[in-house]
Amino acid sequence: MTGKTFQFEFRDLNINVDNIERAMGYPEGESHEAIYDIVVKVMKQVEAICDLKAEYRIFNDISYDDANRRITVQRTVLNTGKIIYRQIKKSDALALFVCTAGREIEERSRTAMRESDVLEGYIYDIIGSAAVEATAELMQDELEHFMKSSDLKISNRFSPGYCGWDVAEQHKLFGLIPDNYCAISLTSSALMDPVKSVSGIIGIGPDLKRQASTCRFCDMKDCLYRRQD
Amino acid sequence: MSELLTQLSYCVEFGKIDKASPYPPNLKGQEGADEIARRALDEGIKPDEILDKALIPAMAIVGDKFTKKIIYVPQMLMAAKAMSSAMKHLKPYFQSGETKRKGKFIIGTVSGDLHDIGKNLVAMMIEGAGWEIIDLGVDVNTDKFLKAINDNPGAVVGLSALLTTTMEHMKKTVEAIKGNYSGVTTLVGGAPVTMDYCLKIGADFYSPDPQGAVNYLNQFALK
Ligand code: B12
Repeated sequence: MTGKTFQFEFRDLNINVDNIERAMGYPEGESHEAIYDIVVKVMKQVEAICDLKAEYRIFNDISYDDANRRITVQRTVLNTGKIIYRQIKKSDALALFVCTAGREIEERSRTAMRESDVLEGYIYDIIGSAAVEATAELMQDELEHFMKSSDLKISNRFSPGYCGWDVAEQHKLFGLIPDNYCAISLTSSALMDPVKSVSGIIGIGPDLKRQASTCRFCDMKDCLYRRQD
Repeated sequence: MSELLTQLSYCVEFGKIDKASPYPPNLKGQEGADEIARRALDEGIKPDEILDKALIPAMAIVGDKFTKKIIYVPQMLMAAKAMSSAMKHLKPYFQSGETKRKGKFIIGTVSGDLHDIGKNLVAMMIEGAGWEIIDLGVDVNTDKFLKAINDNPGAVVGLSALLTTTMEHMKKTVEAIKGNYSGVTTLVGGAPVTMDYCLKIGADFYSPDPQGAVNYLNQFALK
């Protein structure tokens, strides 16, 4: 089993005000002067306080049970559900990953909310979510790049709680990477602490394809974040 | 309606908090919700009137614009902030009982869940509709909900959850509420929650957004 850990800087993520406005619901090209200024201000703060960490571990010891659509990683059986199973069953190996934007962002968000600056608190929250998503994307780029040297490709990344994969299966995932570098802990209700964290799997193999986004696989049709590509 | 109340309503709708706040640009340097509410009281306008004729209607427009996607969460929050800067002048009248709110709304994110943004948005819009909010925070267990209900007879209860796992705790809490206080109305919400789920666990109402909750609650208003 091989693995890699990463520490990124906020500027590596290429997040701009425009991205944040989209994440707050504003359609392309629509903006609000007041909001713009606050986003710029909060983004500067986040740049200083975020702690962007990621880790993947590659497991070669995997087997597939087509009849029940189950994947066994070492001795752990993952019930990813049929959508994800279909996307990764051609993998020779699986990368399990976790990422986080750190705890400080959510603390700032809470403090701002408590001190009755709800708007600023909300913007911290949105930027924190964008930061951890972008961290996952960067880590995935690194994995893709690394695999290319062995002529291998990767799939999209899939997380427990999406596409019919029970969020409680995160317990299995964390069981396989118990002492994770990101120091994320999992509560009994499968909530990651810090909140601005993401977990999941990525398939590795010669016949896989990384699509522009995973939204096409997801059944939350009117999700605010749904991408059309 | 008095010119002051019209101005106050405008300030809340467009998030003009006080004189110092630079937005909206057409009101730059002018008084905001904070100063106008003070002035309205000083000029003898009844607190009830300020609430019912300026603040609540302004927030209703804001909620409606949000539902129709004319504005987005940030502008809704600016409006809510302007509303609370006006509300602070009304606090003494609430405390003395001279002005009454529509009722009490207890809200919390259920046990095991730490998400609070969605819950906070709902709380603010319901407050904006004239309700007193009792915010129990996040990771609220059943006992805490029950105690709050016991301490605040007649209150309506809102529960929020963001994961399917924590949604299970919502079920336990709603069952306990209904078991102990059968008359209490419960509202549920959060990303994974649906109307089907709401009915299945015996809650009274589900809304995907704050305005739906406000519209539903209005039928229970005390006044
Ligand atoms: C942004 C986001 C994230 C962010 C963080 C979110 C946050 N708030 O901190 C990040 C990227 C970190 C993240 C991570 C994960 N996420 Co996520 N995430 C989302 C997303 C896209 C938006 C959530 C959000 O913040 N919305 C904005 C707020 C304002 O909305 P809201 O909380 O829903 O509240 C509104 C309404 O629901 C309603 N409401 C809320 N409460 C109440 C209460 C009452 C009484 C009423 C009437 C109304 C009401 O009014 C609010 C205002 O409109 C949703 C999908 C979606 N479109 O909703 C998934 C979603 C919540 N995530 C999901 C999952 C699974 C995860 C992960 C477990 C994935 C993983 N394995 O890594 C992790 C878990 C993180 C953790 N700490 O454990 C699932 C949860 C469902 C499930 N299967 O359990 C969702 C629903 C996506 C899906 N699959 O459909 N996520």
